[in-house]
Amino acid sequence: MVTKTEETQLNRLESQVEHGGGGAWDYLCLVRKLKVRRSDKVLKYGLSILNDPKKRSGLGAEEWTLYEQVAIAAMDCQCLDVAKDCINVLQKRFPESKRVGRLEGMLLEAKGSWAEAENAYASLLEDNPLDQVIHKRRVALAKAQGNLPGAIEFLNKYLEIFMADSDAWRELAEIYVSLQMYKQAAFCYEELILAQPTVPLYHLAYADVLYTLGGLENLQAAKKYYSSTVDLTGGKNTRALFGVCLCTSAITQLTKGRNKEDSPDLQSLATAALEKDYKQRASDKVSVLASALKSLKVSS
Amino acid sequence: MGHNDSGGSEKKSSESANDIQTFNAENLQSNMKVIYYSRTFLAIISGVIAGILGFTGLTGFIFYVLIMAITSLGLVAKAKFSVHSYFDSWNRIILDGFFGGLMSFVLFWTFAYDIVHIF
Amino acid sequence: MAEDLVLDTAIRDWVLIPLSVVMVLIGVLRYFVSKLMRSYQVPDAKIVKEGQVIVRARNLRSGANFIPSKAFRARRIYFSNEENGLLFVPKGQAQNAQAQMFSDPNMAMDMMKKNLSMIIPQTLTFAWVNFFFSGFVAAKIPFPLTQRFRSMLQNGIDLSTVDVSYVSSRSWYFLNLFGLRGLFSLILGEENAMDDTQRMMQMSGFGFDPTKSLSAEKDGLDIVQHEWALPKFEQRAEAVLRKLVS
Repeated sequence: MVTKTEETQLNRLESQVEHGGGGAWDYLCLVRKLKVRRSDKVLKYGLSILNDPKKRSGLGAEEWTLYEQVAIAAMDCQCLDVAKDCINVLQKRFPESKRVGRLEGMLLEAKGSWAEAENAYASLLEDNPLDQVIHKRRVALAKAQGNLPGAIEFLNKYLEIFMADSDAWRELAEIYVSLQMYKQAAFCYEELILAQPTVPLYHLAYADVLYTLGGLENLQAAKKYYSSTVDLTGGKNTRALFGVCLCTSAITQLTKGRNKEDSPDLQSLATAALEKDYKQRASDKVSVLASALKSLKVSS
Repeated sequence: MGHNDSGGSEKKSSESANDIQTFNAENLQSNMKVIYYSRTFLAIISGVIAGILGFTGLTGFIFYVLIMAITSLGLVAKAKFSVHSYFDSWNRIILDGFFGGLMSFVLFWTFAYDIVHIF
Repeated sequence: MAEDLVLDTAIRDWVLIPLSVVMVLIGVLRYFVSKLMRSYQVPDAKIVKEGQVIVRARNLRSGANFIPSKAFRARRIYFSNEENGLLFVPKGQAQNAQAQMFSDPNMAMDMMKKNLSMIIPQTLTFAWVNFFFSGFVAAKIPFPLTQRFRSMLQNGIDLSTVDVSYVSSRSWYFLNLFGLRGLFSLILGEENAMDDTQRMMQMSGFGFDPTKSLSAEKDGLDIVQHEWALPKFEQRAEAVLRKLVS
């Protein structure tokens, strides 16, 4: 997670570097630390350091880290030649390294030679079956080929060991959603909520899945999760507000108005909040909103 | 000198404090770390001050307790007097690091006292 | 205090201060050496998995109220059923772990390395203190203590007439050893904070037993009362929205 202070610091450094204020190395370190993806900038500034022998030798042992970082950024920007050069330098310095092996696998992947990359990763995994990064690369590889069932299989294999990795759970959930396997996706989102109960995004996604599943019980649960999202975001999340409205109308449709346990206030409040929000931020769309809300009300 | 080293790293760890407590474990941990650091820091500083002022016997310990009380107060003030939105219990803010700091306090108290007064 | 001893300022300059400074420096040095010696070892798949299971079970326990009770019950059974639950440890396997510890040379080696980085500098400093500074009355603690503390504070001088609050150099070393921990955690970051005590614990128990924490987690999970927190969130959301709209 990148906090707000870290982000402002990053942006400040970035603009400083952009205007020739120096601090490129600090910027690259920060990017690495926060694991943000700004490959074009990393490539540009990283290369400017690497191409300057004086600056490069000033880094000491950090030089190799920079090579790795630039190589990955270059692959991300499809500058395969640059990546290849970096990897070759690293290869010369650390001939036996697995980390360089990983980079080579990634280069193959970037070139699109899937089978070779797959082989490279498989042989690396044989040496060290607990390398998390390579497991994840394999998932990405399967996903890049459009082989979603394969990606699911790899992810499940990975999660069997590293079952506390919430990023992997999230990826799995999203794949399941894209394959319309909502029950499985719901399980993954439950896992995410357990791991981080205060992140509203997971509540929202879980509510979406429950709503899509349908059925009275799921709809009621979905409404609850939409409301928890509303609570956790302080009512700022438009999607959650719409979700509350949709759930309420769907529930009343199913129960034909015999529904006593829910108070009707929530929906009217959500509509009011939506109207207010639209008036403030997109006043030209208010009429669209009104008709949409009306269609919900008609059905109730 | 209270709590200026506790910096800005305290984050709101719960969204609201009515019947259900929702804590972010990471933020709670970082808050505790801040408490631990400020206490240790103050224990060392107060040890040096007590030594230089030449407190002996009970006076020194009373001084330590006083400083720790002030720290607690400062931390509570830093938490804007709503302890439950930053910590899960009062004990955290009042007791955590109290005894851990005592050892450092005694050491630095003795050290400063000896250097200034004994020799 | 009639029998006040007069301590030579040379003792301060050549015993008290150097001793303390050296202790601090050695602490810092040890931190960096242990950082260097921290070898990368290939972790065992089973141990990694057990650690992850524990994390996940702990998450389940702390976040239980955020998922529907059906989901919670399914998970609880998954974790703690008596046949193949993840947290269930078959009887007889518990002792095995300890035996395995001893038989695995790699693990013992690693443990040795960890302990060595603690023991060697400590014995060396202790020997150094003994050699150079034995017999000095190095300091005086500013508060009175009872006779019982004599053996603790005047380790190394055999005088029963000296006031107990005088500290011998060897005891000053011990005082430093314990009191400087706080300082180290301030200057070296939290990594070092609890290191020593944890290592001591590890030494006495010779490694921890993962199966024990598994079954402890299982017991904790078994007694969790599930109460879905989400219904309350509807009211909370209403309150939030009411505030927003008005």
